[in-house]
Amino acid sequence: MAKPSKKMSLTDAIQMIQDGDMLTFSGFTIWRRPMAAIYEIVRQQKKNLHLVEVNSGTHGEVLIGAGCVKIWESCWIGHELFGKLGGNLARKVMSGELIVEDYSHLHMLLRLTAGAMGVPYLPTAASLGTDIINPEYDILGRTGLRDGSDTRIPRAKYQFVNDTFYDMGTLLHVPAARPDVCIMLAQQVGEEGTVQIWGQKFSDEEAAKAANKLIVIAEEVVPEEYLRQEPERNLIPPYLVDAIVELPWAAHPTGCFGMYEADGAFIRDFYNETRTQEGFDAWAEKWIFGVNNHDEYLEKLGIRRLETLRSNSALKYSSKVKRGTR
Amino acid sequence: MRNQELAKPGEYKVGDILAVSAAREVQDGEVVFAGTGLPMLAIMLAQRTTAPNACCVYEAGTVDGRPIHLPASVGDARCAYQAAICSGLFDVFSQLQRGVVDLAFLGGAEIDKYGNVNTTVIGNYLKPQIRLTGSGGNPDINSLARRTVFIMVQEKRRFTEACQYITSPGWRVRKFPSGEMAPKQEVYGKFFRGGPSAVITNMAVFRFDAVTGEMYLDTVHPGFTPEDVKNNCDFDLDISRVSGETVPPTYHELELLYKAIDAEGIFLA
Repeated sequence: MAKPSKKMSLTDAIQMIQDGDMLTFSGFTIWRRPMAAIYEIVRQQKKNLHLVEVNSGTHGEVLIGAGCVKIWESCWIGHELFGKLGGNLARKVMSGELIVEDYSHLHMLLRLTAGAMGVPYLPTAASLGTDIINPEYDILGRTGLRDGSDTRIPRAKYQFVNDTFYDMGTLLHVPAARPDVCIMLAQQVGEEGTVQIWGQKFSDEEAAKAANKLIVIAEEVVPEEYLRQEPERNLIPPYLVDAIVELPWAAHPTGCFGMYEADGAFIRDFYNETRTQEGFDAWAEKWIFGVNNHDEYLEKLGIRRLETLRSNSALKYSSKVKRGTR
Repeated sequence: MRNQELAKPGEYKVGDILAVSAAREVQDGEVVFAGTGLPMLAIMLAQRTTAPNACCVYEAGTVDGRPIHLPASVGDARCAYQAAICSGLFDVFSQLQRGVVDLAFLGGAEIDKYGNVNTTVIGNYLKPQIRLTGSGGNPDINSLARRTVFIMVQEKRRFTEACQYITSPGWRVRKFPSGEMAPKQEVYGKFFRGGPSAVITNMAVFRFDAVTGEMYLDTVHPGFTPEDVKNNCDFDLDISRVSGETVPPTYHELELLYKAIDAEGIFLA
């Protein structure tokens, strides 16, 4: 009997996400973010999302600027060289519209790792002595959200634990994160859902396995047999995948190893143009609401721009894009 | 012939002396964690001059890459070129926590006299005037590497008596639950491996007293005096231990930086 296909349209896949869901994503800062899905979340006007991510970037800035996000738990947001901070997050945390819970990079990674391992917490010695663990700065606690009514929010931000195995001293236990949905962008996905990632895997495996549902945006859907010739190169098995959406260039303006470069000029424009809410709204009107779907977005970018970004097949990055002043 | 003569003031820029000074902190054979920007120039310059066996780890998950084009970020595909390992964050942060990282280069918006660094907020954390990027891996790396070197801009408001928010731990840190300041050794116990060993700015190089953990002025870049530096610190900087002038770049180092490492002019415009 043929297996039911998980392939669907972007619109249908994003309809799996409910208002108030906890989300996480593939990628790292401005690399391999599922941007086409991010734009569709904004088009579908999802509300009160709770982002839990190892770090954020351009994708987080779009969701936060669009007012889709209520809570952000992470450690970093910005656009690397192309925008020194997260202007939309900064605006909304300063105005009190957004709840931000700060952890460190390793804390967030271990929170998702614990979620992926099925344990409630993991220990670490990272970032002791900092204000990240200042009890006064437990924002979800201060907001009254650690009362157990939302079962996805742990009752404490962290706990101190004394190591009694090797007497290593006082460590932290950080709580597991178990997002409702992970949206992952992969270079290749088999017809049944086997996922292959090229280049750095970032924290994709932990994010995908911690989540209850996994939506995979694939640059290419390929025959399942093709990926099974070298199973050691694959990251995620089909049974974890709930939806497959095939969309080329779907990480734009973030970069995708072996496929295309990050579009630095586009990201820089986003950063500069969205420092105010009016600026963000105008940007979103142009690039999200002003196009009906991903194809229209790509048409608006134009083939010349995309071809400049396309990776050299030997180097795995573009050799045509102008990156500096020389 | 490599021209090892020192360049004269006016023949090099601020970014050049930052990169060169940072590169000189790398010892051969070390495992080095580097972030985006000047740290990349520093490690790549060190590998081409005094530390050919240094191994560079980028936090997005590449180990000992041999890029032929300068990465624009630690997540760039260029970091993976000819790498020994291309993995992910779990691999490299676990290695860090395991204790294999000798040296790391970091940055920050604000630093205090104990080397605590703030990259999170300006103003009250609960009602910030300015929200910055947040911690990233800065505090993890600063917690768990043997030595860290900070590359910073020298301004009075950035060199403060006490950080408004401690994102990343220096030599005296908060001990919770009370939050009183205590030596890092006391808070980290057996995980204590070291801490900030140098701060490099556009004006000078600073180090930390082994006993008190307080920052002092070590060398001053050509063209500046110890008093210039002291006037650009909000805390009472110890300038009694100045060992001399920072050694400027050699012509060979400048050629490597501009012709080989950052030939495209990404960080050195």
